[in-house]
Amino acid sequence: MLSEKDYQISPIVQESVMHNSKSLQNLQSLSASLFGISAGILGLESYSGFLFYIFFSFLTSLLMYIIRVAPSTFPKEYKDNKGTDNGLGSGVGGVNKYFRGGFEFWAGGIMNGFAGLC
Amino acid sequence: MTWISKTITVFGGLLLAHACYSAQEHAALQSFKAAATSTLTSSTPVASSLPVDIAIETIVATLVTVLGLVLGTRPLRPIQWRVWAGKIEREGEEGFLGNNGEVEKDYMGNPFSYLESRPSFVDIRKQRKEFADFVVKQ
Repeated sequence: MLSEKDYQISPIVQESVMHNSKSLQNLQSLSASLFGISAGILGLESYSGFLFYIFFSFLTSLLMYIIRVAPSTFPKEYKDNKGTDNGLGSGVGGVNKYFRGGFEFWAGGIMNGFAGLC
Repeated sequence: MTWISKTITVFGGLLLAHACYSAQEHAALQSFKAAATSTLTSSTPVASSLPVDIAIETIVATLVTVLGLVLGTRPLRPIQWRVWAGKIEREGEEGFLGNNGEVEKDYMGNPFSYLESRPSFVDIRKQRKEFADFVVKQ
């Protein structure tokens, strides 16, 4: 966890944070309803339905990573500086360039389902 | 780019609707068969699960729709100030295009542009020369 001093040294753009998490949440709520429809067609209930939801929400994050995050973090920028001081942060694969932490990105789809829990 | 994502999403939605219709027809057929056999033999009907092709179609439709939705998301922006400002400095408005090829509405512009217009950094001699040339031309 970064302290206040770290934020003063390397400030964060709040508008970008809000923009990114808004587009991610938009995608997740749209896809969650879709997974509900699919689970209903397949007749999945209780445990298997929950596993279906977890699996597909993780798959959504993976697709988002492949399509939106990876292309802009892996080209020359990343290879030149080995990810030390190019704004990619210490997150695996450069998720930290766009999100506060990897958890928000990878587990956001599952955690958004439990509204009010976190 | 926006039409690609929309086409993929609509195609996935059609597949999903077809799978839903197939599943409904399958259920209707099963209940019809059960009713027919129960009147003849009065034995308990065997509930059969969904055919594998409908299951595959549902999963493929879900994946295709999610792919379309992901392609339709707006491009992400760097959250760290120096990366974000560097991107604006390098690419300008080009780096903040939405899916429809236009500059996004909440694009604020270069945060350092005020530095260029500070009075101390105005090249007054150059401006005077330009004005003199302008006067001579008139």
